[in-house]
Amino acid sequence: MKDKFSTTTQLGLTRRGFLQSTAVAAGAAVLGTSFAETAQAAASNVVRGYGVTTSQLKDWSIMQKSTGVSMEFTGTNNSVGVFLRDVVASQLGDDADIFVFESGTEDVLGPQGIYLKIDEKHPELTLWDRTPDEWKRSETVVDKEGVQYGVPVIGNADSFGYYPDKMDAASDGNDELSWSLMFDDEKTRGRVAYDQTWTYSIGVAALYLMGLGKIGVKDVADMTGEEAAKVVNFLIERKKAGQFRTLHTAFEEQIQLLSSGTVDVINCWEPAVRETNKSLGSDKTRYAYTKEGYFKWGHGAYIAAQAEGRGNLDNIYKVLNYYLGGEYRAIQARDRGYAGPNMDLGVQYAKENGWSAEEIENLSNTEKKVARKFAKPYTSTTTPTNSDAIEEEWQRFLNA
Amino acid sequence: MAAVSRSALSKSLSRLRPASNTLVNLYFVLWFCLVIIPLLVLFSFSFFETKSFVTTYTPTLNTWLSLLDSGRLTVSLRTLRIALTVTLIEFLIAFPFALWLAKGGVAKSTQAIILALLTIPFFLDLSSRIIIWRSILSENGLISHLLVESGLTSGPVDWLLYNEWAVHFGMLVTYFPTMVLPIYMAISIIDDALIQASADLGASRKDTLLRIIVPLSLPGILAGVILTLGPALAAWIEPSMLGGGFVNLLSNSVESAYSALRYPVVAALSSFVMLMLAILVVALAILARRFGSLGAVFSTLRS
Repeated sequence: MKDKFSTTTQLGLTRRGFLQSTAVAAGAAVLGTSFAETAQAAASNVVRGYGVTTSQLKDWSIMQKSTGVSMEFTGTNNSVGVFLRDVVASQLGDDADIFVFESGTEDVLGPQGIYLKIDEKHPELTLWDRTPDEWKRSETVVDKEGVQYGVPVIGNADSFGYYPDKMDAASDGNDELSWSLMFDDEKTRGRVAYDQTWTYSIGVAALYLMGLGKIGVKDVADMTGEEAAKVVNFLIERKKAGQFRTLHTAFEEQIQLLSSGTVDVINCWEPAVRETNKSLGSDKTRYAYTKEGYFKWGHGAYIAAQAEGRGNLDNIYKVLNYYLGGEYRAIQARDRGYAGPNMDLGVQYAKENGWSAEEIENLSNTEKKVARKFAKPYTSTTTPTNSDAIEEEWQRFLNA
Repeated sequence: MAAVSRSALSKSLSRLRPASNTLVNLYFVLWFCLVIIPLLVLFSFSFFETKSFVTTYTPTLNTWLSLLDSGRLTVSLRTLRIALTVTLIEFLIAFPFALWLAKGGVAKSTQAIILALLTIPFFLDLSSRIIIWRSILSENGLISHLLVESGLTSGPVDWLLYNEWAVHFGMLVTYFPTMVLPIYMAISIIDDALIQASADLGASRKDTLLRIIVPLSLPGILAGVILTLGPALAAWIEPSMLGGGFVNLLSNSVESAYSALRYPVVAALSSFVMLMLAILVVALAILARRFGSLGAVFSTLRS
């Protein structure tokens, strides 16, 4: 889920828009108590979100209809560096109520007191108890000590997209394929695109080597420098052997590389395969089930510590609860193919709201797919403690 | 009358002088605060280290040493090499073009059209422009297709993309306007009479070019070089999109370091490039002095 050039991260309000809205609020506060009180009353049903746009609804008014709370969401890109800088150095919590980001930031910002602990007994968090542990206790929302800092929003298990006919694989995409197609197969040599972001790419290479018994890695999500070095040595050897046609960085690139037939295999986001099939015909390409495992990721929603004093916590918890509910689940799965907690509620919502049988079927399939994939390793993090050492090793790969 | 007005002018100037001195001093103070101090802070940051997204403020040489191990120093040198090559090739293409456009007897309307065409890229997003080249240069792309169809090659051509060649090409396309426009401006204000006089005095075309046009267009050339070299050193869209990850340049390296919040690495890389740039600028200034003092060159612009 790393994306530097993508215009898909430009959805929603811009940062400037966010600052303007806060400036207006700040201006209102200066204008005098009576006006400020009115403004506060008017603003009391607004929750301000800041984070990755993947979690956004295309239309937040749907949520407002269901919960009475409206959302002002400011998008950021997927760079954890940018996110941490914004949240810590720019004190974004002064304005934003909730942060939505990929797993890992809670390990850094939670213990620093920048995120609030989740009050599991909050009266507005009605769906918490029925949410399965595999989502709510996932590493994406608790820190290393197990403290609950977030509520799960969406997640998926990322693998690679491929052309089944060129891999001699079953056309229904149900075959369990090896990551060797990505790294080490004669028939895919020079026909592979590999994401050049270390956080996204190094883990799956480690999984592949572990599957072969070539290396032992204690924690794939947080490799030591030495472990990363072994993986990188292998990757450098494969790079020199011409395994990779290109190293890509952006979502649009993924679509272009796959749909143009420049490559046959690419480690990418699942929506890239969807987009490709939209142009090439359904099921022309598939998103792999793998033998060794997946880059499993999840987005969490975290409460800014400063929000505690703003008297808006009830609304914030309404939004967090909404993330766990059927409406959000069904719409996210339909529009992006991403899963999340309580998919059964999503199916229920779809049935109650007259979705077509095919759409409902797709929701169930999304749940089954994710359950099958989540049974395998590994859960990623954006903030491995050895990030400096891994990043350093990854540079060797890029420079080789 | 003229003498009176001149003395009046010098009087008013001398009255202005203490004020302008204060202004100049103020400017230097501001410049020091806004430019030099941040640079010093940046440089000192390179002697710290980041572990697990937290920078520890204990002086160490580890960051600088790690630049060598990870090949990041090679990245800096590669960036410098590519940026200089692109700037040089760009100059060799842009100068004759600018000369033709300014003094080649091109009709005013054609000039206007060409200038407008040159400014269009400034209004388009760079990544959208560059990604189009991928569909032209790729092995399934237009050029490869034409080569195969015409029987010039037996199979699809795959060396047009994802290598240094492609990065050079992309950068040449991108930075052409920034090189051409300043040179065109400088050449177009050269008085035609000077060129005519040079010819009348028996100078060859080459002499006129080297001794009249080049020295007088030096401000434009310098501006073009700086406007091209600077962005070329910071290029990251072309290397990412056309280099296919095989041409790792400085900005990509910085971006990667940033993803682990490794500010010291970013600081060290930036300091290194600043140093390289400083050396380059000094070299450029020395070179420019061969054509007379820089100040004198700029003074021609005032006349």
